[in-house]
Amino acid sequence: MRAAAIEATEFPALADSMDVWAVPKIVVEGVPRYEGAVPERVFVSRLLEAAGQPTGE
Amino acid sequence: MGIFRPAEEQAVREHLAGLERRVELALVLGPEEEPVPGAREIDFSAESRRLLEELVSLGEGRLGLSVHENGAFDVERFPAICVLPEGADAGVRYYGLPWGYELTSLVGACVEAGRTESSLSAESLELLATLPKDVSIDVFVTPT
Repeated sequence: MRAAAIEATEFPALADSMDVWAVPKIVVEGVPRYEGAVPERVFVSRLLEAAGQPTGE
Repeated sequence: MGIFRPAEEQAVREHLAGLERRVELALVLGPEEEPVPGAREIDFSAESRRLLEELVSLGEGRLGLSVHENGAFDVERFPAICVLPEGADAGVRYYGLPWGYELTSLVGACVEAGRTESSLSAESLELLATLPKDVSIDVFVTPT
């Protein structure tokens, strides 16, 4: 797992290319996925879904 | 002027006092950039360095800081902060200057890296273990 926080205002072109209109914006494997903070269970479920794995739900 | 106000200093100290193992912060600076009028009054690299030096001092020996040039740790943009539990690269990065509310994110990353046991639930760890390969997560944030 690799995890990066990216300060959107310092990298506006990148943020624009990832459709960042609200934060936090979650990008998985270079694909814009979700916005907003969510509980751990939901985050893990979404992450697995984005990675093409069974979500356990 | 210090980066942290006295109350913030105390809060950061308390968070960092909970580190169970040493965490190294590696700041990677990029090539000089042409300033953009109106958008780059701040030297993000110099500010990042100043902020990290102060943060490390609040860690009272639990945090370390090293500064690197372009090319280190395969970072993609600058400034980059690599959070290294016991000096090992666990793939955790912060890109940009972690000011405002985002300082909390960096302190949080240090606290997590300083744990000897994951703070995730057993169920989450079990599910994440099913991933067949490394997955990259980028979280876009803003300082306000």
